[in-house]
Amino acid sequence: MTSLPATDSVYYNAEIETMPRARLEELQLERLLEVLPLAYERAPLIRETWDAAGVHPRDIRTLDDFRERVPFIDKDAVRRFRNERGDPYGGLLCVDPSELTGVSSTSGTTGDPTLVPEQWGGGGLTSPSIITRDLWGWGVRPGDYVMLVLFTFRGPTYGLFQHSLATTPILVDFDPAEMERFCELSLEYRPTAVYNFGSVLINAVKDACDRRGFDPHDVFSSYRGVTFAGEPLSPRARALAESWGIELFEHGNVGDVTGSFECVEHDGLHAWEDTVLVEGVDHDGDRCELVATSLANNIAPLIRFRSDDIVRLTYEPCACGRTHVRMWPLGRKSDEIVVSGTSVLPLDVWGAVESVDACAAGLFQVIRTDRRVDRLRLRIGYSPDWSQRLDTVRDALMAAVLEATGVEPDVELVPNEALLRLGPPHKIPRVATS
Amino acid sequence: MSAPTQETLWGIGTYDDEHGRRVPWRISHQEIGRDIGVAVNVLSDLGLAGKRVLWCSMLSQAGQFWPYTCGTVMAGGKLSCADSTYGEAMRVSMFLRLMDYDAVFGVTEALLDGIEALDLAPIEVFGGVRLLGAHPGAYERLLARRLAPLHFAVCGPALAIGREPGGPAYVANGEWELTTAGDRVCISSLGERAQPFIRTPIALRGTIVTGGVVPDAPTP
Repeated sequence: MTSLPATDSVYYNAEIETMPRARLEELQLERLLEVLPLAYERAPLIRETWDAAGVHPRDIRTLDDFRERVPFIDKDAVRRFRNERGDPYGGLLCVDPSELTGVSSTSGTTGDPTLVPEQWGGGGLTSPSIITRDLWGWGVRPGDYVMLVLFTFRGPTYGLFQHSLATTPILVDFDPAEMERFCELSLEYRPTAVYNFGSVLINAVKDACDRRGFDPHDVFSSYRGVTFAGEPLSPRARALAESWGIELFEHGNVGDVTGSFECVEHDGLHAWEDTVLVEGVDHDGDRCELVATSLANNIAPLIRFRSDDIVRLTYEPCACGRTHVRMWPLGRKSDEIVVSGTSVLPLDVWGAVESVDACAAGLFQVIRTDRRVDRLRLRIGYSPDWSQRLDTVRDALMAAVLEATGVEPDVELVPNEALLRLGPPHKIPRVATS
Repeated sequence: MSAPTQETLWGIGTYDDEHGRRVPWRISHQEIGRDIGVAVNVLSDLGLAGKRVLWCSMLSQAGQFWPYTCGTVMAGGKLSCADSTYGEAMRVSMFLRLMDYDAVFGVTEALLDGIEALDLAPIEVFGGVRLLGAHPGAYERLLARRLAPLHFAVCGPALAIGREPGGPAYVANGEWELTTAGDRVCISSLGERAQPFIRTPIALRGTIVTGGVVPDAPTP
């Protein structure tokens, strides 16, 4: 069991979380200078990429050297290396495969999942700093019950809740059908946090409360925070949750290196910079693409990994007292389509879709055959109750999307279940190629 | 520094009762530690010490599966995990395409539906796997597709794993006991548990043979 801070401490690790920026950057450089030679020596994708760019670890002595000279990698490069060389780890593995304790995988939202090699106790992705510092900051304490609404493909992450936080997880599937049970368990055990929720589940909680006569205010009355992740909350789901008195905390990915969470100030998502070096590239005003480098992973570190995520970043200290970088996720570069000159992102369509009662679950996909297209094509899920009135549903959707985006869509209607099955369960792919 | 309280539980899991309803299940750290030790022995007896194993399950089943997923690592093996749903077929087939697995446990009908929807034949995906544990329903489908699965079943709070194709599936000896009451399969816990089970009827239907269970095929 990890030793824990005093229960009245605001921070899980005050020294690290509030470290002055200059000291934090010294620590990052120290860790970077350990990780870079290791990755160059042992990870063939990193070595080949650096050799092609004429860069060697001995050239990197400062963070500025790193930012100016080190070449990028991205998920396509990892998949290409994997497929062309027959290396399941995509040229990133820095240890002998026999030393691994397991292999998990990324969610696979943007295509074939990629492998995440792991070594228990060996400093992989599941560093205890992820989640524990954040939930502690919301007020979750040892002995609390925490509702885990998750999937299994990341491997056994629940150990963090049991050992790093000394809480008791209540184990629930990320499945709308589980939400009646979620309500019952919340009322019985009075948990203090949910990890992890999404729009589909919030809508399902509403249905469960309507059906069973639960008061959603009561269901959530013990919670200090409810995390949502995987994709932004839809406007309808956010409004519902806030009307129940839920304090929502956004949780995001940091370029497949680690996670980021909102703190109680709700002013951006913190990434723990003692574990990840965060950069923004290709600036467009205050928007940039997130680039991440592992500082606490000696198994398969990602070095200058282009995430495809568009974010806003600040390195200014937060009002919560933490000094680590904050980010505001805005969307994925590869999700944008331009329809006859008009830019459309999934979030632009979302509110319009769920404003139509039959489609209140907000399940839809943008069909993206190319970045520039002549017509906006949408595949939208409907509740089975509406299956006899699909013409009416289609007309309402076309009008709502036209009003929201200025673009008239072509709409393909499918039952909600057909989209939910596409998983991973915490998010459906919002963009499809066909 | 504060210390966690002694009575903090490992987790609140779930098991399916005789009517198929999901029932909350309190699990202590002590019993899960014991279950991991037993699982290491079961996996070693199956020849899986040091081998690569893929476990397909749902988070709500962690009380049943965690001893075995953790036990895989404790036995020196390599662990991979996936949900046992239709949508996870891509992940499961990706794992099996990229790496050799000695065993896959927890194949469901939903997973097979997803695999077939990807235009993959089960024998293409699972043909190279030595031990293939399949839930009732998936078991019969795999048999019909020229594979030789093991019976694998969630027996209330425990897992039952077959030792050879066609043979019964066994819960961990010394921790659990299966009996019947009329047409019901019942389970009893033999060691100390935060929530004891005493001939508790469970959702699984089947026949008890030499202490193990041969699950019935689900009725359409």
